[in-house]
Formats: sequence, C-alpha cells, structure tokens
Amino acid sequence: MAGERVMVIGLDSAPPSLAFERFLPKMPNLSELLDGARYGPLRSCHPPITVPAWAVMATSLTPGELGMYGFRHRKPGEYREYYLVTSRNLTRPAVWDHAAREGKKALLIAFPPSYPPLKVQGWVISDFHTPSTAKNYTHPPWLRLEVERVAGGPFTHDVEFRVEDRGPLVERLFEMTSQHLRVAEHLARTKRWDLMWYVEIGLDRLHHAFWKFFDPSHPRHVPDSEFADVAERYYRLLDEGIGRLVQAAKDASILVVSDHGAKAMTGAFAINEWLADNGYLALEERPTEQTGLAKAKVDWDRTVAWGWGGYYSRIFVNLRGREPRGRVSPEDFESTLAQLVDDLRRVRVPGGGSLGVEAHRPAEIYPEVRGDAPDLMVYFGDLSWRAAGTMGHGRWFLPENDTGPDDAVHDWDGIYLIRDPEGRVEPGELGATIYDVAPTILSLMGLGIPDGLRGEPLLDVS
Amino acid sequence: MPKRRYTTISIPIPLYERVKKMIEGTGFSSVSDYVTYVLRELVASYEESKLDFTREDEERIKRRLRALGYLD
Repeated sequence: MAGERVMVIGLDSAPPSLAFERFLPKMPNLSELLDGARYGPLRSCHPPITVPAWAVMATSLTPGELGMYGFRHRKPGEYREYYLVTSRNLTRPAVWDHAAREGKKALLIAFPPSYPPLKVQGWVISDFHTPSTAKNYTHPPWLRLEVERVAGGPFTHDVEFRVEDRGPLVERLFEMTSQHLRVAEHLARTKRWDLMWYVEIGLDRLHHAFWKFFDPSHPRHVPDSEFADVAERYYRLLDEGIGRLVQAAKDASILVVSDHGAKAMTGAFAINEWLADNGYLALEERPTEQTGLAKAKVDWDRTVAWGWGGYYSRIFVNLRGREPRGRVSPEDFESTLAQLVDDLRRVRVPGGGSLGVEAHRPAEIYPEVRGDAPDLMVYFGDLSWRAAGTMGHGRWFLPENDTGPDDAVHDWDGIYLIRDPEGRVEPGELGATIYDVAPTILSLMGLGIPDGLRGEPLLDVS
Repeated sequence: MPKRRYTTISIPIPLYERVKKMIEGTGFSSVSDYVTYVLRELVASYEESKLDFTREDEERIKRRLRALGYLD
C-alpha cells in the first residue's frame, strides 16, 4: 500500500546552515523535497557524536539507556584499557526490530554502528567500523556478491581524512560516495524492503577535511584555495544521489536526516594538561612531546581525576573502592566533581573570555545510566573547542586537533525533512529532536509506537 | 539407513510457479528438491562466514578509528 514504505537518507553531520541554506540553491532535488515537506533543525543527543547519535535516532532511547557514550568505553577497573562500541552494543530494539514484528523488512546501508553485520529481517551492509573487506560485511553474507558487482569491487567503507595532502582525498571521497549511492539505488530498486536506512559518512569526512576552504569565518581559513568549491561539488553529488533514490521509491515516505551538525573548529583544549596543572592529575614525569595518557607516567596513587579527549571530554574520578589505586573517598566524590567543574569554569581562552564549560553528570541527563559511563561529560565553547586527551603540549590550548589535520567540530543541530506522499505531515519549518525520528518512522509505516520511546511522531495521526 | 524426516514450509504460489519454471530441464525433480538444495548452500555459506570478532579485528578497527581521529 502506498505511503507505508519509508526511506531514510542519513547525511552524517549535515548542518542546517549548509544543507538548508548555503548549498540549497545548488541542490534542486533537495529543494523539491523541501517543497511540501516538514523540515527544520534536528536537535541531537548528549553527546552529539555519530556513535551514539544514529543509534539514538533509530531507537528513540537515550545514550544512557543504550549504554553508548562514544566510540569507545573504558574497561571497568582499568586506567588505560578501553573497548570499542560496535553493533554488539546495540542491544535495545531499533525501529527495524519493531517493524520486523509486523513482518516488515529492512535494508540498512552503512548504519553506524553495524559491524559485525547487524542481524535484521532484511539486508545489511555494515558501516565504517568494518575492519576489512576481507571480513564478511553483509547480512545475509551472500548479499556481498551483489553489492560488489554493482560497486565494481569491494564496498568502500570510509576514507581517512586526517591528511595534509587533500588532493587525493577529494578523488577518494567522491568515488566512495558515488559508489555508495550506486549501491543504495540498486538495492532500493531490487529488494522488497519496507524500511530503508542509508547513512553517508562521506559528508562528515568532507566537513572535517575541507571546512576551512569554504568558510571565510574559519580561524584558519585558506582563501582562494583549489579546494574552495569541493564542498559545493560534494553537496551537489549528494543531491543527484538523493534525486535518484527518491525516484527509486516513488511510493515511499522520505526522511532526510543528520545525526548532528557541524561547524568550524576553534581549536583543542588539552584537558589532561589542565588537570595536571591544577593538581587533579599527578605525573611522575611530565611528557615533553605529544603523549597519550595511556603512555604517560601517571602517579595513580596521587591522581584525583583524568580525562579523555574527543568532541567532548569524559572525566573519570579516581574513586577508592572502584579503581585499582583509587584516591578519592566515596564521601568526597560529589564535592570533588563540583570543585573540578568550578575550577574549569574559571578557565579563560587565549585573548580572554570564558572557555564556556558545560558539564553534566550522566545521571542528570539520562533517565537510566547503563554500561560504562564517565563520571562527568564536558563540552567546551559550545563544542567549538575539541577536547584533546594527549599531553606534552606545554599549554592548554592547541590551534589544531592533536590527532591530525581537522577543520570541523560537531554542532547540536542536525537536519530533518519528512516528505510523505500520503500528506500526513503538516508542511513547514519547525524544530524537532533526534528522539522524534523513530516514532515518526513507525507512524509512517502504520505501526504502533511501543512504550518508553523518548520522542513523539512528527505527523498528524489523529 | 534411518528414515529422513520432513516438514512442510509454505511459500507463495506465484513464487512456487516461478521456481518450477526455472528448474525445468535442470535435473531437479521438484521444487522441494531445489529449495532444499538452495537452503543447504545458503546455510553453509552463513555458517562459514559466522565471524568471530577477533582481537585482530578489534585492533584493526582501533587503528582505523585512530587514523580518523576518534581515538588518541
């Protein structure tokens, strides 16, 4: 029946400022979709990062309920060891699991995290967590033959973007996304799916590698670069692909969504340098060149807290009874965290002004805290400053990312657009949250909404 | 030789008709024979690819995520 299939086109890190404004005049297919659609900024989750944000979107559950706080989690009781978050950590039902109970089939392409290949009723190509195409990366396994025939070789899961030499990257990025779009269109036409969810990670890589070339307000903007038009050309490539995908499923409701936004990176705040300078992190020897905390000579018996870097900082308290060489007694735990946040709030950026510290205890922002959460989640400068976990810089503020060339950070608002051929959505611009996507998909598919989801369907289902 | 045991699986009649036509002249004596053959192949391929997510795989992903700047 018309209007019960849903195609989700996921554009990792697409911000409203580019997709709905700057590049929209160059995107005729997206413009046409917007006409008659409900659309607007899509507020991401805490933390606004690919993992957990896509999983949050597909489940309408918080990162706390999913027990997913980023790409990696600390191994309990270990100062240095961590484990990766993979599809095996996605244990709560996603929208395709709810749909499968009604016999509906899903087609998932590069949904993060989906390696090892998620087992769904339908078809899966795993995401950029795939270690190698020597491994099975599809469900069912024989889907791979068909994928590789259409792709013209192994599926390209990702490109490494933290390189100084951007020239070859442009080619690899455009080739990868063209291949993904070709495979997605083929599967959209040939499989009998009810829910298709494709995520293009290439857009996130584009933002990280090329933001400074097109944005004059970027602190390290490079004017008149040969890469100045790469972003516009890439958005046009996506738009052509969107047009073809929509044509491949004319009866379907279409969602175009992103997991978080993106913006220019101001720089990085070296959290462990700061913790060491302020008496929280004790070192036997201060590194003089860039060193990860795992390799630094930490005096754990005297350490109060340590941090992890990334788009946000995770802070762990060296709590007695929990950590192998815990220093902070349980009764001092809360006051230690409060003091640490107070001290952080006093930090000034180079040239003056507040760093803009936003700190959360997981239990304050999630209804449930499962798995291996940090003690504190901290954002700097409304995400404009990354957190650097490495030490040996001799200063707190770094003009660049410590893990390689990078121009962009994440932003709170991604995008969403819903176009329903049955007219069940009220057209117009209106904000929504990442939690609203899964209930919206279920409603569009004519399915019931299970209890406990954190969002609301964005359509008139009276 | 122990007697083989069988069960019945329903498939849509149009699909049955398509398979029946497809196996004409192939030596398969019935749609059931053909479906059993295909399922055995598929199950074998599934079992073969059942992956252990090895320590080596995890290290490989860590290397990649490090190169992507997600890990320091």
